[in-house]
Amino acid sequence: MVQQQLSTAPQESPAAHPPPVGSRSVPVLLLKVAVLAVLLSTVVSLTPALVAAERWGFLVFFWVLVVLVVAVYATRRAIPLKYLLPGAVLLLSFVVYPVISTFQVSLTNLGDGTRATREEATAQIIGSSVVQTPDAPRYNLTVGTAGSPTAGPFAFLLVDPASGEASVGTEDGLEPLPGATVTDGFVTAADGYELLTPVEVNDASAALAELTVPTEGGAIRQLGIRQAFEGSTPLVYDEDAETITNTQTGVTYAPELQGDREFYVDPDGQRLSDQSWAADVGFDNYVRAFTDARILSDFVGIFGWTLVFATLSVASTFALGTVLAVVLNDRRVRGQKVYRSVLLLPYAIPSFISLLLWSGFWNTDFGLVNDLTGLGVNWFGGETTAKAAVLITNLWLGFPYMFLVVTGALQAIPEDLKEAAGIDGASGFTGFRTIIFPLLLIPTAPLLVASFAFNFNNFNTIFLLTGGGPFTPDNPTAGGTDLLISYTIRLAFGASGAQFGFASAIAVLLFVITGVVAALQFRLTRRLEDVI
Amino acid sequence: MTSQELRTGAPVGPGHLAAPGGAGPSAPSTPPAANRMSRGRWWREVGWRHAVGLAAVAFAVFPVLYIVSAAFNPLGSVVSTSLVPRELSLVNFQALFSEPSRPFGRWMLNTLAVCTSVTVIQVTCSALAAYAFSRFRFRGRRGGLLALLLIQMFPQILATIALFLLFTELGTVIPAIGLNTLLGYVLVMCGNAFAQVWLIKGFFDSIPQSLDEAATVDGAGHATIFFRILLPLLQPILAVTGLLAFVGVISEFLIASIFLREAGVRTVAVGLWSVIENDRSNNLGLFAAGALLTAVPVVLLFQYLQRFIVGGITAGGVKG
Amino acid sequence: MRISLRAAVAAVGIAALTAGCGGGSSAPAETDAAPAEPDAAATTGAPARDDADLVVWTDELKIGAVTEIAEQFGEDNGISVAVQAVTDLQANFVTANAATNGPDVVVGAHDWIGNMVQNGAIDPLQITADQLGQYSEVAVDAVTYDEQLYGLPYGVEALVLYRNTDLVPEAPATLDEAFATGLELKEAGTVESAFNLPVGELGDAYHMQPLYTSLGGYVFGQDPAGGYDPTDLGVGDEASQAAGERIEELGEGGSGVLTRSVSGDNSIALFADGQAPYLLSGPWARADVEAAGFGWDVQAVPGFEGAEPAQPFTGVQAFYVASNGANKAFAQEFVGGAVNTEEAMKTMYDGADIPPSLVSLQESEVAADPQLQAYLDAASAGQPMPSIPQMGSVFEPLGQAYSAIIGGADGAETMVATGETIRTAIS
Repeated sequence: MVQQQLSTAPQESPAAHPPPVGSRSVPVLLLKVAVLAVLLSTVVSLTPALVAAERWGFLVFFWVLVVLVVAVYATRRAIPLKYLLPGAVLLLSFVVYPVISTFQVSLTNLGDGTRATREEATAQIIGSSVVQTPDAPRYNLTVGTAGSPTAGPFAFLLVDPASGEASVGTEDGLEPLPGATVTDGFVTAADGYELLTPVEVNDASAALAELTVPTEGGAIRQLGIRQAFEGSTPLVYDEDAETITNTQTGVTYAPELQGDREFYVDPDGQRLSDQSWAADVGFDNYVRAFTDARILSDFVGIFGWTLVFATLSVASTFALGTVLAVVLNDRRVRGQKVYRSVLLLPYAIPSFISLLLWSGFWNTDFGLVNDLTGLGVNWFGGETTAKAAVLITNLWLGFPYMFLVVTGALQAIPEDLKEAAGIDGASGFTGFRTIIFPLLLIPTAPLLVASFAFNFNNFNTIFLLTGGGPFTPDNPTAGGTDLLISYTIRLAFGASGAQFGFASAIAVLLFVITGVVAALQFRLTRRLEDVI
Repeated sequence: MTSQELRTGAPVGPGHLAAPGGAGPSAPSTPPAANRMSRGRWWREVGWRHAVGLAAVAFAVFPVLYIVSAAFNPLGSVVSTSLVPRELSLVNFQALFSEPSRPFGRWMLNTLAVCTSVTVIQVTCSALAAYAFSRFRFRGRRGGLLALLLIQMFPQILATIALFLLFTELGTVIPAIGLNTLLGYVLVMCGNAFAQVWLIKGFFDSIPQSLDEAATVDGAGHATIFFRILLPLLQPILAVTGLLAFVGVISEFLIASIFLREAGVRTVAVGLWSVIENDRSNNLGLFAAGALLTAVPVVLLFQYLQRFIVGGITAGGVKG
Repeated sequence: MRISLRAAVAAVGIAALTAGCGGGSSAPAETDAAPAEPDAAATTGAPARDDADLVVWTDELKIGAVTEIAEQFGEDNGISVAVQAVTDLQANFVTANAATNGPDVVVGAHDWIGNMVQNGAIDPLQITADQLGQYSEVAVDAVTYDEQLYGLPYGVEALVLYRNTDLVPEAPATLDEAFATGLELKEAGTVESAFNLPVGELGDAYHMQPLYTSLGGYVFGQDPAGGYDPTDLGVGDEASQAAGERIEELGEGGSGVLTRSVSGDNSIALFADGQAPYLLSGPWARADVEAAGFGWDVQAVPGFEGAEPAQPFTGVQAFYVASNGANKAFAQEFVGGAVNTEEAMKTMYDGADIPPSLVSLQESEVAADPQLQAYLDAASAGQPMPSIPQMGSVFEPLGQAYSAIIGGADGAETMVATGETIRTAIS
């Protein structure tokens, strides 16, 4: 049997036989050393920066990587790992890790309106409430410092354009500045102060934003490089009570949970701001996906069509690709190269471009399809025709891939076998079915499963072609050609902005569903089991 | 199981590959043979294949013709474009290269750089792993293979949130691979390093073990067997997977559109996306011209690879 | 601002989707990189994000004009500037800003404000009342949110009615008149479409708004301060049902003035090809119409006979100061100072071709280009597009409702059902 056959010699042989010639040769050894040296020096040189930035996760990752590489390649153990490690590291870093972190995001309420931490959100709500004091002067500003231009302490050297009088503003308030030189309305020299250049002012933005000069009508704040204005904020944050009070109206806003997030709300439940903050919500996003009435009512139909779409897409592309590959893979057919090149064209054009064009082709009055066929069908207007259009388009997009793969797989089948199964007439088809096709299926079966999974989540095709439509007036959330992924993405991103937490939960659920469906296929295709 | 019967002939070494063996469309003996055939027999055996081929070509090519027509149509709008162009002009191609905010030439170079590096890395990693999966027995092998298939089912577009965060962080310590760098984007694309494992492994399985065994007896190590003996035999599948990898990257724009923000670092796909994003109906000509130029490297690559894909192996073995 | 439905969906779908979230990230990038080149990094090379003293994000259509202003600003202040055209601008900006990885200034449409504010992504501006008074009222209203000014407006856009004067010499006084002449031409075989209003299979609520308002409908009511009130939804009320019925009569089952075949993808092109006498579109269509080679004219969209005036959504283009930018002082100086001049406004108008919002510039430009007046009239007649986040729940279902009605669904029932859908989504 296959398993036995395969599992004989090679594994034992490297150990059983004398050390291999190739891997002991000097150039190979040098290459190994060079690669290890480059890796090691890169990681060593990165370490100080990582430590300084306190990126412990990256630090651990890089050093574990070094240890792994040394352990795998500097010894003669773990031969399979020598071949698996490079790709595995990339896979773990850029696919598996993001999958895990998607799961983590699915346990939060992250999204539009909840991107900040609570402290940031509070500061922004208060900062955004600053209003100019009516009729207060706009000062011409020069920033001075009694210390250093980077660390301060800073002072606003102000000139009131109306009176031309100079004054100095600090946290203690506004005082006259008699000894200042004023040129063109700006302070250009002042005793005891070093003046900042525009770039220095900009660099000190964060510190200067903190500096407010208390006045009767509020406080003077910096505005850009050359201006200061007087304004006030009616909102005050009470750290102990964790509430915000509007000092003008006397209303106090306290955090209150609304939906999956907290807002500052007044006693009547009115929000102070739409801004909320990030929070962990446990499995709420999953609960929501399972209890949402809309999702429940639409799920079965959409899931069914998703299965049909994925199955038919794979079946049709594979069938067409195989037929063409087999039919053209005959040395007597002249111009094979030309055929192959032309049949590849749909694949050579970036698919999103093709999809956008195809969506125009199906237009009732102005589309190419109706022009060429004279059918006059409103393709995207009806559910059945829209589904047909989507499948035909997907066939066009997908068959060159299958054609290529099958053509490649055909090359592994010996000529004499192909000749034995020679396709002439009915007996030829039987020969193909019984001899060639089973052989073709061996290397391609896993790809068919992968292709199924891809089409199961083929967001692009649906999104760029029909947008999920047609929609009926009584159900604008579930369209006639919607797949699970396009449908759920619309739910997660349609209303009041993006909901990353919810979308991630959906992604995880889709992942599980696809996995289960694929696992069932594994079971069904015993052939695949044999291959493994 | 029919594996025994299916095994054919003596194992082929790399030296045998160069032998033409009469395979491939270029074989000079073919046309005379065809001439000698009766017309009826020719139709039964060959002619119908052309009929099928031509039908498929018609299906494949009409949207492409439309793109060609749009690319050469000076008006460049959806309505003024038909399958047969009314006017021929190169204005769209000129426009592609004349607007400094749309450095198409640079996009093309970026795309080629990204696609080439990702293809090389992906095919290399996949071939190495396929060798391990095909020739060694180790713990977790079966699980690993299944896991590979499963992981690829994760809807990638939804993991972009996590990727964005990862690369924002990475960029703060290693700016060279942060957001908005081609290198960072290449790394993300290399997450799919194992995308071709299954296909290559399938091919590996069809190469007889006896080859390895013979080499082992001669004292060759696993590395020698892989690089010197098996790799040359893999040419057809490496060519196919190389092309698949190349095309997979060249049309990727979803991740690119968050990773490559600036005009100067964009790939053609995301660059063209930005062109249509702004105006769909009237940029059609421009966009079609760009699409055609994008297709050129793929077609050229395919032309180059065809010789490896077809007729690379004239006699091999298949295990069932 | 252009709202093709697909673009709107794209913004919500792909854009938002691919965007990330940076709530947890902390320290800003360390900059030990080489000093920035003094010129704009708009063309080539790796991003100058951390190097430049002012980073501005905009889109492809405006990058030329913005770069010109920014470079002048850089020269005046002796600093380096970088202007970058970013795809999916709003989503990318909000995300990058949250990760302290974004620009200092962003240029975009005013209807982003609600979302940007709920994400704390932009700071209010402090422009003096005198200076604000120099901008058109609708523009200032549009960039005011929660009674704070968030953007400096440079352009105003609203839908107008284009007419092929070779086919229809006389300007229609009402929509009914336009529809009638259009249908005549279509029946005579002169044109393929009577009246180009993009509908498409997914519908287009933005382009339907003038018709809907003329028939008495509204989307959100306004509170006394001028802000939109998400609890006052007009979709589904009696006026909207009547509007739905009227639209049904105009659809494929009725007179056929409106059809799903005309979509954002082909509407302008069909008109420019001479295959439609009328086009309902915005200032962005002007270049194509001018290039079409027939006589044309433009007017504010008229209302139905004896009905309310048609009020399109007015979109305002503006500059915003990012809340987490590294160079806030320069950003405030740039937006409040350098952009806030007639000269810069003229540069934006010349480069981006969006009708100006600065009154003095409007007057001087109209003198040279009388047709501009129609665009300005349309913008003033319109209502600012609601920028509240709840608007995100309106465009899709309402567009689909219009598409269904035009395809033959019952107008009144569909509007009621759609009102319910929207109410559920925003509650």
